[in-house]
Amino acid sequence: MDGFFSVFDMLAWFPENISTFGQELDSLFAIIYWVSVAIFFLTFGVMGYFLVKYRYSPDRRGYNYHGNNVVEITWTVLPTLLFAAIGLYSDDIWERTKYSKRVPSADVEILVLGKQFGWVFLYPGADGAFGRNAHNDRTARSLMSATNPFGRDTADPSGFDDVVTENQFVVPVNANVVMRGSSIDVLHSFFLPHARVKQDVVPGTWMTIWYNLFKTGKYELACAELCGGGHYGMRAEYEVMSRTDYDKWLDARNAEVKAARTPQPAPTATADTAAVASLR
Amino acid sequence: MSTSTLQHGSAAEHGHDHEHEHHHDLPWYRKYVFSTDHKVISKQFMLSSLFFLFVGGAFALFIRWQLAYPGQAVPIIGDILPASWATNGVISPEFYAQLLTMHGSIMIFFVVIPFAVGMFGNFCIPLMIGTDDMALPKLNMWSFWLVPPAGLIMMAGFFTETGYAAAGWTSYPPLSAQIGLATFTISGQTLWTISVFLVGFSSIMGAVNYVATVLNKRAKGMKLFDMPLTVWALFITAIIITLGTPVLAAGLAMLFMDNFLHTSFFLPDNLVTNSTYFGGGQPILFQHVFWFYSHPAVYIMILPLMGIVSDVMATFARKPIYGYKAMVFAIAGIAFLGFIVWGHHMFQSGMNPLLGTTFMLSTIVIAVPSSIKVFNWLGTLWRGNIQFSAAMLNALAFVSMFIIGGLSGVFMASAPVDIYIHDTYFIVAHIHYVLFGGSLFGIFSGIYYWYPKMFGKMLNETWGRRHFFWTFVTFNLTFFPMHILGIGGHMRRIYDPNVYDFLKGLGGVNEVVTIGAIALGFSQLILVGNILWSMKWGKKAPRNPWKANTLEWAAPEHPGHGNFDMDITVYRGPYEFGVEGREDDYWPQWEKGASVSVTHHTVAVTDDAKTFGAH
Repeated sequence: MDGFFSVFDMLAWFPENISTFGQELDSLFAIIYWVSVAIFFLTFGVMGYFLVKYRYSPDRRGYNYHGNNVVEITWTVLPTLLFAAIGLYSDDIWERTKYSKRVPSADVEILVLGKQFGWVFLYPGADGAFGRNAHNDRTARSLMSATNPFGRDTADPSGFDDVVTENQFVVPVNANVVMRGSSIDVLHSFFLPHARVKQDVVPGTWMTIWYNLFKTGKYELACAELCGGGHYGMRAEYEVMSRTDYDKWLDARNAEVKAARTPQPAPTATADTAAVASLR
Repeated sequence: MSTSTLQHGSAAEHGHDHEHEHHHDLPWYRKYVFSTDHKVISKQFMLSSLFFLFVGGAFALFIRWQLAYPGQAVPIIGDILPASWATNGVISPEFYAQLLTMHGSIMIFFVVIPFAVGMFGNFCIPLMIGTDDMALPKLNMWSFWLVPPAGLIMMAGFFTETGYAAAGWTSYPPLSAQIGLATFTISGQTLWTISVFLVGFSSIMGAVNYVATVLNKRAKGMKLFDMPLTVWALFITAIIITLGTPVLAAGLAMLFMDNFLHTSFFLPDNLVTNSTYFGGGQPILFQHVFWFYSHPAVYIMILPLMGIVSDVMATFARKPIYGYKAMVFAIAGIAFLGFIVWGHHMFQSGMNPLLGTTFMLSTIVIAVPSSIKVFNWLGTLWRGNIQFSAAMLNALAFVSMFIIGGLSGVFMASAPVDIYIHDTYFIVAHIHYVLFGGSLFGIFSGIYYWYPKMFGKMLNETWGRRHFFWTFVTFNLTFFPMHILGIGGHMRRIYDPNVYDFLKGLGGVNEVVTIGAIALGFSQLILVGNILWSMKWGKKAPRNPWKANTLEWAAPEHPGHGNFDMDITVYRGPYEFGVEGREDDYWPQWEKGASVSVTHHTVAVTDDAKTFGAH
């Protein structure tokens, strides 16, 4: 019988949480859940009791009573207090997780773009700085194309070592990851179910997405905004690594990018080819 | 005067004379097709909505089949599906997106709104305020006759190259602007925009008519606070429609231009696409415009049913509505708040999170008038004498399912909780608890309640209860597990959940939902069968079968054009049940008689001088 009732324990169905603020969001969900369960049993209990007790009988008649202002005020004020408390408590968490000025200083900064139907990521590379691209310079937006979604300026030396990955990304554990997200075509939504992160990405605008994950492992990224027939397959994988593994991974990518660039004698002349190479 | 004289008097015959006097000269198509009689228009809305209910329901069953058994051929009809829908009977991802778009659009714009506002608005308002017809009957006729062409235009998307519209019922650009297509391409999405624009016009025409009728055509003696809650709710709904729908029309006009002419109201510059356009627009603007209408539209879809359920509950609990005025103010409060909460659909859209705080707090406030309504309904049951007719059962289902839908609404109203559950099946569960569990049970309740007055025949009560039982059970089997899917992280609008590892454990839940949905769909055949069967073979309805108080029951059994066969004067409020000093346990609004109000009770007195408006 216990197994049967566990179906009704909705909280058990959450995927495992791996982000710092995720615990707060889950416990807020649990608070509202238990309040709802209480209200559910209260109202259904009262209703069920009335339905049985006052069921039709030919020798009784309904009680002519039009209501009572004291009662009305009571059941207006009590829910107001309850819901206001939920609202204010929620707002506190909301401010800490989403407000722009509350975004923590970044340990790792990554750009992410949604496209039909996949995700691309841009890491700053070995020098720790992005070259000129559509995020840090609006005028570079005109460079955006299917092969160069980030609108990278291949003439900018600080961008030579930027690393692009497709449908997979890696973040270090216990670090503040700050991502700037956008889209090159339609709306998408950056959804990390285990990290309790969701943010629509909108073409023409860059959204800030941040999180701090405390558990290593491989997890999934999904698109949560209908973006066409292939929406369902817009899946990416990400791996949360220890700091040393992350550094190793980054070094390996840097080496790949460098290897792709070395045969080129003059960077400016073959800028386009370099961009394509680094895309792979 | 007792009502028995009314029922068995010469009133019925007189009613028929009345009909013939005015109508023998009208050709049949003016009587049954292009009629200006509000009752005929109401029936037309009912039939078209019932038709679309099954179209939208069929789309939903395709969706459910795919989610429970992804990659398997649709049974029975799989082989005959057109190639643009399915290959070897397996639904294609593109068609899946069209399905969910058409399901939502049809159910909202062609089923629930026409049922709630078109059908009940037309039928109830003139009869319940004791007048012969709408203030503007021709406009009323037009408001219906925009619906069939709009429906055809939307369904014509099938014949375009890209098929039906496929951007969801919310049609967010740039997807809905279809930037990949050349300028001047007519796609299913273009037709969708035109179609919704037209039904919007239909709504506006109906709504201005309702406002004009309620304000100008009430029977002698009927003050605003003598109106039944159904009329109050429809009146306030009409005000929402007149304020909100033009905004949607503006948004759709801009979307149409972006889609068809490649203007850039909602399209930013440098989109990566093959087509050309101007750029410089903002996609989120559309969401603001859309939800400014579509959040109030949620209340357009439920407020009329709240009114109807209140009337049904008072009649079958044989009790006055508890806190009549509080109920009116709660409806008005919900309507007002409905206009300042649209941003709660956009917490994760990229809107400034600062606004998230504003919209979260205003949204949570809506829980207050909603709970006032629930408590007052419970108060109405208290010390009643409750008859479990099919109409009452559906009304009780409305209240209980609305409680669940309202509570799940608190989760998503809380912006931080919404981060996770936004665009998951939790939202789908919520909307169906409110729109099916709420609105559709309310609609069923209203159909069972007013069918005798609409068709002059009683609906079969046994089959009515069977329909209720199967609908109630399979409804919960279908939609309750969706909460679990949502908590598991199951995104809405995805074609195949098995792509994701974290959703692999939810296959069984998806199957339960699908089995429930199929049973739920077939249960509705009972309703249609009952409606059609009773039209011909139903028992003849008496004038006031439920012994109710409101004015529509003063009209003849099957009222003709002009409605009433006697002069109507209103002497009291609509909910005088169980009044002390009276033999009957009900006291119709149109019956002469005096009363006094003593500490929230009404007591009948013989002295006319002591008449008080009793509420």
